Amino acid sequence: MTHCLLVDDDPEIRHLLLDYLKGFGFTVQAVPDGRTLRRALAASMPDVLLLDLMLPDEDGLALCQWVKQTRPALPVIMLTAQGDPMSRVLGLELGADDYLPKPFEPRELVARIKAVLRRGAAAALPTASAADVRFEGWIFDRLRRELREGDGTVLALSAAEFRLLSAFVDHAGKVLARDRLIELTRSGDAEVGGRSVDLAVSRLRAKLGEARSGQPLIRTLRGEGYLFDVKVDT
Amino acid sequence: MNWRRFDTLFLRLFVLMWVTLVLSHGVAFLAVGPMAGPRGPAPQGGHPGAAQWPTLPSLPPGNPFTADEVERGGRPPAGGPPGAGGPTGSLALPRGALWADYALRMIVIALGAALGARWLASPMRRLSRAAGELSRGFGRGKAAPVLDVTRGTREVREAAQVFNGMATRLQEQFDARGLHMAALSHDLRTPLTRLRLRLEQLPDAAAQSAANDVREMDEMIDMTLAVLREQRDAQPSAPVDMASLLQAVADDLAEQGHDVVLAGDAGAMRARAHPAAVRRVVGNLVGNALRYGERARIGLARSGNMVEVTVDDDGPGIPADRLEQVFEPWVRLTGTHERTGHGLGLAIARDLAERDGGRLTLANRPAGGLRATLHLPAA
Repeated sequence: MTHCLLVDDDPEIRHLLLDYLKGFGFTVQAVPDGRTLRRALAASMPDVLLLDLMLPDEDGLALCQWVKQTRPALPVIMLTAQGDPMSRVLGLELGADDYLPKPFEPRELVARIKAVLRRGAAAALPTASAADVRFEGWIFDRLRRELREGDGTVLALSAAEFRLLSAFVDHAGKVLARDRLIELTRSGDAEVGGRSVDLAVSRLRAKLGEARSGQPLIRTLRGEGYLFDVKVDT
Repeated sequence: MNWRRFDTLFLRLFVLMWVTLVLSHGVAFLAVGPMAGPRGPAPQGGHPGAAQWPTLPSLPPGNPFTADEVERGGRPPAGGPPGAGGPTGSLALPRGALWADYALRMIVIALGAALGARWLASPMRRLSRAAGELSRGFGRGKAAPVLDVTRGTREVREAAQVFNGMATRLQEQFDARGLHMAALSHDLRTPLTRLRLRLEQLPDAAAQSAANDVREMDEMIDMTLAVLREQRDAQPSAPVDMASLLQAVADDLAEQGHDVVLAGDAGAMRARAHPAAVRRVVGNLVGNALRYGERARIGLARSGNMVEVTVDDDGPGIPADRLEQVFEPWVRLTGTHERTGHGLGLAIARDLAERDGGRLTLANRPAGGLRATLHLPAA
């Protein structure tokens, strides 16, 4: 049984979300502001925190930072009506594990909750989710969801390419079986099939080209899966 | 020839000062001449009509119209050789020298008048330059120009003060409007979130189309906020790989089950632009194509020093006389196959394109359907 702690100042949203998430087997405790959140956190041990950024008494970003300091293992998904890239940058930099702009597809929220719990179980992820990831002369900007060359040229990424590259840089130097890759790149409600992953791999290969060593950056290991064979700096 | 362009404050002041000074000489001569006449020398030689010009301190002695003839007449001026002194015509200069003298005065007066006029007109020029800067930089994240209120004449200083006050108020109003728009957009999202959650309790068929409505509203909010953001913080432009951008847009929509094709392989082509803005513009064009034509075909080509992106649909097109109209915000075409798009989208798309030095145009294809063409400066 997954226990969610929800912080949102809108009583109706609290009520509606509570009902909705119950249907997926989550137990939800909903609180309206930062003060009650602190109290609730002291009293219980939720599996995931759903945090609205605009709270009457406290700034959601500061609250997120505080939560990450006191409960580093608690996954935080930010919900915000701001939906602006800067607050997303800040949110993720302050340690939020995911960020969902309002109004969200309810199913998407469920998928994200499951995703952070899965990732939390793996526990291998650097929680900092650094904005810029560097490898082989490329800069992978996770916030703007784009790839930049050394000379500043911007290469846009499709959603599938972004998810795939995120999975690759998180598991750089490790062999990823195709099924595992499909699971890692699953998004919201859209079922990512094997063909879609194959397409994204070939697109990414075309964009990234070869490493200085002449080897492709994304290598196919027959019978094993894919290997993103680079050293990644965050 | 448009003569109005010569009607400058500078020219008016210049002509006024110059004419005044020249006139003052003339008037002084005409007025003082007769007075000085009786005391002057008697008319000489075969020119009884040509009076010897008076020798005023401000004018050179002699008459430029008669000086040479006097000399040519071989009759030396009374009272000794020229330049030998004496109160009368003996001082008369040769004609050439006299003309030179007059020309010199005119030129000196002209120079003085030019400098003076320039000096006087400069505050006006500063004001108009600042006003131009204000209107150009407005809404592009540039600070309003501030005029120096300590320079110039009192009128100029007052005008500068008024201008500064106006610029500040404009900026304040602009910021306030932006803030209101942002707050409104933001506040709309809370009820939209509630609405979206409530839809989960409805039967599937009805909920699906309502959910699409919610998404569409959210996209509009997103666009509005994006424009406000662009106006406030100007993220620098960068070379953007157009092929991969178009491919990404097409792939994203194809993943959602839409019929979007990126035609041909145009090779590497870069535009200098704001990546997020270009993606938004292309996304808007393709979204329109899908909404009205069910299918979108994206093309990429080079045209001169521009990169040309085309988005074709096979919808009903737009009547030729209304092609420009759809760029105006809040215009929605009715009658033709119920175009139900939000008029704001194209207006914003064009605005974003033009900020990057690009162009956005629509045309009906001969084969039917609409073609949207986006030009962006190549990098």
